[in-house]
Amino acid sequence: MSAKAPLVNWIGLWTIIRREWTRLMRVPIQAFLAPWISALLFIFIFGFVVGGRISQIGGHRYIQFVLPGILMMNIVNASFLQSSSQVYFSRFLRYVEETLVAPLSYAEMIAGVIAVVVVRSVITALGILVIAAFFGATSIDGVAEFVFWIVSVSMVFGLLGIVIGLWANNFEQLTILNIFFITPLSFVGGVFNTVAMLPPWLRWIAYGNPFFYFINGLRHAMIGFTEASEALGVAIALGLAVLMSAIVWRLYAVGYGLRE
Amino acid sequence: MTPALSISHLRKVYRRGTVGIEELSLDVAPGEFFGFLGPNGAGKTTTIHCVTGIARPTSGRIEVFGVDAVRNYREARRLVGLSPQEFNVDPFANARDIVSWMGGYYGMKAEERRARTEMLLEKFDLAVHAKKSFRELSGGLKRRVMLARAMINDPKLLILDEPTAGVDVELRRDLWRYLQEMNRDGKTIFLTSHYLEEVERLCRNIAIISDGRIVRQGPKEEFVNEPGGLEAAYLRATGAEPNHVPAPAA
Repeated sequence: MSAKAPLVNWIGLWTIIRREWTRLMRVPIQAFLAPWISALLFIFIFGFVVGGRISQIGGHRYIQFVLPGILMMNIVNASFLQSSSQVYFSRFLRYVEETLVAPLSYAEMIAGVIAVVVVRSVITALGILVIAAFFGATSIDGVAEFVFWIVSVSMVFGLLGIVIGLWANNFEQLTILNIFFITPLSFVGGVFNTVAMLPPWLRWIAYGNPFFYFINGLRHAMIGFTEASEALGVAIALGLAVLMSAIVWRLYAVGYGLRE
Repeated sequence: MTPALSISHLRKVYRRGTVGIEELSLDVAPGEFFGFLGPNGAGKTTTIHCVTGIARPTSGRIEVFGVDAVRNYREARRLVGLSPQEFNVDPFANARDIVSWMGGYYGMKAEERRARTEMLLEKFDLAVHAKKSFRELSGGLKRRVMLARAMINDPKLLILDEPTAGVDVELRRDLWRYLQEMNRDGKTIFLTSHYLEEVERLCRNIAIISDGRIVRQGPKEEFVNEPGGLEAAYLRATGAEPNHVPAPAA
């Protein structure tokens, strides 16, 4: 080994990614098949069966309208579950100590977790797009915009998952945020309906829900339909990504949940 | 000469107020085989955790070969290898991956890492078990994986926290031989153990910690030449009653 530590420990970072990928590949059914089957059922029931009886929304078939929401729900879930379980299990089984005693910076440790989150989300998204293609629902108007939403939302929820993974002291705590926050907010964030379909008092709640902007942004990228300012959505996604990065970096720096 | 490990006025108080280390200062010279003794809960593992970054010191200074282990932790970590008291591995990972990944964390290139992993697996008779998951291995084999992992980066300072706990006599002796060999080649070794025979056989200098403080420190001969040998010296230093258990009648 050379005498001086390199500015970035690329090999260390790559090892974190490779190692987590190995762990993920031990549970491929849970990681990939489960969200694909869930998406298939959503697309079939809500898009194909129910959607056949619903008139077009903004000039698009209901199945096309609902697909971005289903995609976003799965990306949010995949991101959050990936990072929260990765961090929690490494603490629970104590193998996080392998990285703590190694010459790795906090940024490298966090980047390693987030890289796997993004890869898992992209694979999940691609699988759902392939499934949707069989129903003639897959279309992407803006590829760059589509990639932006997949990556930025994965990062936000991957970082949130790290916070929960550091905080949780048992399996139940690990699922609390998902049950009481992520799932309800994603359902009321416009997965199945437009804001215009909501009663007026509920619209304001939708406008205050970040999931609405994420789903709206992805929907715009896929079918060009939008109900809110694109710039505002992008600002919210980037703002949350920066804020969550700062929080997670600080937690690593003080050793919260990691160091004794 | 810059010490291999220099700890000055180390204090560690845990979040809930428990004092892990009251006040601890010690120096370990380069090339030393240093024994760190103390009863359970005295602060041995806490000290090691502070040195290696698993715990955050409350105050004090730790230097590894002159490098600040807190402020310049990345540089300091490169010089240290740790075999912990408790198994801190992914139990589903196999022995080869556990050792090799650690090399990766240390930034070792693939070829170098592969060669060193295979050498260590051979050295610790782990080659035939390399593809087995950690949880499938016996206690002794698990301990060997911990040691191979600690040595993957060829550290200048090797910290061994009760490395022979739970291993059979044969492996213990093999390990002693290997550690002596490494020490002869210039590696500094910091060893904690509850086996006084092990410390007496291997170490040149000894420190005894009790209630988070060093209560006695010096060359091994000072301890072993006392009446009752190292065991009596240890018990006196830690304030325990030297209750000798008589040998069974012949």
